[in-house]
Amino acid sequence: MTATNDSNDLEALFDSIAADFSPAPPKPAPVEPPKTRAIPEIGDSDDLQALFDSVSAEAQAVAPPGVAAAADAAASVAEEWPRQEVVFNRIGTMARTLHDTLGELGYDKLLEQTVSALPDAKDRLAYIANLTEQAACRVLNATDIANPLVDDIENGSKVLADRWDKLFANQLATEEFKQLAADTRTFLKEQLPQKTQATHAQLTEIMMAQDFQDLTGQVIKKIVSLAQTLESGLMSVLIELVPETKRTVEVTSLMNGPVINAEGRTDVVVNQEQVDDLLDSLGF
Amino acid sequence: MAADPKMRFLVVDDFSTMRRIVRNLLKELGFTNVDEAEDGAIALQKLQAGGFEFVVTDWNMPNMDGLTLLQTIRATPTLKHLPVLMITAEAKKENIIAAAQAGASGYIVKPFTAGTLSEKLNKIFEKMGQA
Repeated sequence: MTATNDSNDLEALFDSIAADFSPAPPKPAPVEPPKTRAIPEIGDSDDLQALFDSVSAEAQAVAPPGVAAAADAAASVAEEWPRQEVVFNRIGTMARTLHDTLGELGYDKLLEQTVSALPDAKDRLAYIANLTEQAACRVLNATDIANPLVDDIENGSKVLADRWDKLFANQLATEEFKQLAADTRTFLKEQLPQKTQATHAQLTEIMMAQDFQDLTGQVIKKIVSLAQTLESGLMSVLIELVPETKRTVEVTSLMNGPVINAEGRTDVVVNQEQVDDLLDSLGF
Repeated sequence: MAADPKMRFLVVDDFSTMRRIVRNLLKELGFTNVDEAEDGAIALQKLQAGGFEFVVTDWNMPNMDGLTLLQTIRATPTLKHLPVLMITAEAKKENIIAAAQAGASGYIVKPFTAGTLSEKLNKIFEKMGQA
């Protein structure tokens, strides 16, 4: 294909697309079937439906990437100004359509619900953050208390064991042996039970600190269901109104937080072994 | 090089819980000389005041993140020799590569175990001994 032919082809394509744009607003009128008039109560709704149908049909016509790219190329060949006007008109029409469609499909209610549900969700998430933090503190406090108790038991046993070793090596006098027996008795009867009981209390505290799970679980379920409702609603709006070519925008960042679901992903590691392997393979 | 139990650590994380956990684990390993900072900016101030021999840092923090802290440490003549161990939830391969390229001494991905921390610390001490 020669350059001239190419340009001519594009010109023709542009003309056809431009022709596609201009009749957009009047389109709904001829589409309107006579039955709309027969049922006045839902006439308004049918009007909007027709408008929506015409615009979504048009969006489909424009959506294929090849055509869009060709249109862009055609624009550079064609005169700039009329093209811009067409674009502005089209954006205006789309904004109007979006507004009407949202109302028509009940998304205005959805958005209204969202606006009222989001502060609630924020409070719920704050509640979860608060409870989990409290739980973490309770557990850490308990281990701080329990650790020295266990250390005391260990050290006390070791001291007594050393003295008993001496006895078995015949290195203790009778008086020392008597003292050792008394000390051992005291250790077994008083120190040990007192410290194990105190440790036990801390273990119970650690167990009880897990009670947040029940509460946060319930709250999280509510937020998940809210998020699902929002997601499906917003997804349908997007699918209906956004051209396919605009749908994928990949966000790349180095601060993503924990990987929630690594299944099917090759860009993340799932354990320390993989971290080490990666670093080894890079020579670090 | 046997690690000096008096070695002074700086633990950098915006969550106090995680700082406490790392501090407790270090204590279990025999290192009781530990200070804390809640973000990279505060950490840098403390480091510049001197006296630290080891940095354990999170990545995602307000004010200054862990990678920027690491890069700043490596670009500061008085600090650049400091071992920096990253303990982070960031698990993308590009994160690990970025950290390694910035000069991290080790990379631990959360959630982690006491065993992993001990292993990585020993590995870093070995390298320090060779240097």
